[in-house]
Amino acid sequence: MNIFSEIYNCYYQILKSIITNHPEISLEDLRTNISENGFEESLLYLIPKLESGEWNLFEKEGNLFLSKIRKDFSVPLTALQKSYIKTLLQDRRMLLFLYREEIENLDSMLADVKPLWDDSSFYYYDRFSNSDPYEDDNYIHNFRTILHAINNKQYITIEYISPRSDRIRRENYLPCKLEYSIKNDRFRLICLRKDRTSNSISTLNIHRMQSVRTMSDTFTEFPDINEIITNSYYKEPVHLLISTKRNTLERAMLHFANYKKNTNKIDEDTYECFIYYNEGMETELLIEVLSFGPTVKVLGNKKFLKLFIERLKRQKEF
Amino acid sequence: MSEFKELIKSFNKTRDYVRDFFVYGFKTREDFTGKSIRTYDNERRRIESWLGDYVKQDYSATGKNIHLSIDSNLLDTNPLYRVWKAKSFTDNDINLHFFILDTLSCDDGYDIETLTDMIDEKYDCMYDSQIIRRKCNAYVKEGLVRTEKSGKELLYFKSESADLYFSQFSELTDAISFFQLGAPLGIIGNTILDNVNETNSIFRVKHSFFVHTLEDEILFELLKAINTHKEIELTVKSTKNDNLSTIIGVPLKIFTSTRTGRRFLCYYEPDYKRFTTSRMDSIKEVKLLNIFDDYKLISEKLDNNLPKVWGISFNSYDNLRMEHVKLTLHIDEIREQYILTRLESEGRGGTITKIADNTFTYEIDIFDSNEITPWFRTFIGRIIDVECTSKRMEQKFKSDLETMFKMYEI
Repeated sequence: MNIFSEIYNCYYQILKSIITNHPEISLEDLRTNISENGFEESLLYLIPKLESGEWNLFEKEGNLFLSKIRKDFSVPLTALQKSYIKTLLQDRRMLLFLYREEIENLDSMLADVKPLWDDSSFYYYDRFSNSDPYEDDNYIHNFRTILHAINNKQYITIEYISPRSDRIRRENYLPCKLEYSIKNDRFRLICLRKDRTSNSISTLNIHRMQSVRTMSDTFTEFPDINEIITNSYYKEPVHLLISTKRNTLERAMLHFANYKKNTNKIDEDTYECFIYYNEGMETELLIEVLSFGPTVKVLGNKKFLKLFIERLKRQKEF
Repeated sequence: MSEFKELIKSFNKTRDYVRDFFVYGFKTREDFTGKSIRTYDNERRRIESWLGDYVKQDYSATGKNIHLSIDSNLLDTNPLYRVWKAKSFTDNDINLHFFILDTLSCDDGYDIETLTDMIDEKYDCMYDSQIIRRKCNAYVKEGLVRTEKSGKELLYFKSESADLYFSQFSELTDAISFFQLGAPLGIIGNTILDNVNETNSIFRVKHSFFVHTLEDEILFELLKAINTHKEIELTVKSTKNDNLSTIIGVPLKIFTSTRTGRRFLCYYEPDYKRFTTSRMDSIKEVKLLNIFDDYKLISEKLDNNLPKVWGISFNSYDNLRMEHVKLTLHIDEIREQYILTRLESEGRGGTITKIADNTFTYEIDIFDSNEITPWFRTFIGRIIDVECTSKRMEQKFKSDLETMFKMYEI
């Protein structure tokens, strides 16, 4: 069993997809398909191989490439892939997707397969302890209702327990994405209000949902969430000066690897880093920068710097 | 001069380049010392080919640099998985992949001679039966093909279709879509989605460090050793001076930080009778050795030690056996309940005590107090006091705060 194997190679996948979806394909369409699904330079390698017949998978008839392989061609799951599925069956989050009985059935279908790891092999030492209740029936029901609604483009009604007041609020939403936080071990729903006047995103914790019901109305297209998120970023990124002392540069680069960022060398001991973020990410980013202490200096933007200095000023009062 | 190819034979060299471009993103061609310019140019061109949409170029005073700009908030998959799909192969490899899996059936088995004849007839391609046998046997190992004995003959069958699983368990696709981002070795889940022509459009994962996938081959070997309770020989590259060293150890757990992006192998060194850790990205090679007889005993010892390990260190910061730390905080009980929630959910079992109105202490015993410092700093603005049996830690924390006040002229 190897992860780095040609069986999973991008070229194999492209050809499989062409064979099963376009058993007769023109050279132009072949080029388009490879350009869309391959690496940037794949076209340069694949076309000559197919045209010359060195990869003897198509017969040429005029401008058409006719597949020699059956249209219903399929590749079985590898032992590695089966082991991976077997491993996931032990994960308690699998209950969000399959019923217990289904998990047992699938597990017995994979009776001869060994899992790749068990839960005890990993230790997430700084993960929050208050994770979502993945075995709670109401939680599972709400999660599945949302999943079903996203798959079928249905609006949903959510009764939500407000984190501040414990009041229950009922609202109709267009569900877009389910976001999982590895740090919090929690799911959130990224959605938009159904009766919205602007495209501002609501992020709701699944564990705070008392009930979720699908509505009879459907929508035709998902809003462009990425555009909405990108537009929500402050124009001016956070501007940091990072020292090489205490291995800070290396630690900071990895720490902030999740963010859209840009880093330049100023001199042998100092680097500057620009991190892009929005209001929703502000507090988390602020305390992340604070955690580095004096080896990271905030230069901007003005708002972030002000928040940072306010915390230090408050600290000095103690 | 050899021709440039976008596919690669081995993952190791590429792993370091992708990591440097992704994590650091500021290195210019001149910073890649110890490598020839041609090597750098080829590696850069490959990364541009695989990850073109994410490659950005900058010009700074020190020269041109390319970096990978990846905003994990916006992605349905890990773009670095593409690197795993660039394994090179021969013409025979790809032809036989399609010929064999197209010809074999799940129900009717064929011996190698028959299969060779069928391929010749069907695709007009003559192969030596030994080549077909070799490929079929390789695919038996990978699980794509299975064998059955029939008298003296060995018959080859295609393994059962992926549809067998996915048609019966319709939500399995959604599950794999999630786990390919939300669980270790996600690249395997991603290849399953490729197999069934699906992509994830529902799930996003926060606090996921995409760069970890570059260590998946090493992780895979380590998990094998953990599962079978085997000792290992590790080749580790020093992060300070690039020197390689060899370590014999008993692998026990993968320690993962969900905040800092660091991952470590925690192992026991029998020669020194101690637990220790090595950064996953510093491990270059893993060799599995013999079964370690006392694995269960050592594993239980580690579990007993875990509540005292704040991060990954088993050694005191100040040469003490154990260090006691105490953080006193000002918390507005009415309006700042979320701070108490933070202490509880992030404090790993430390004791929280109300000592006066709006004043709380957090206390814990740990091996290395230096490791808790970054977390304490996240409470800046409300810290009344930090006390520790390690006076060195206490002084460092306080002098760092003074330095910060000076930096911002407060």
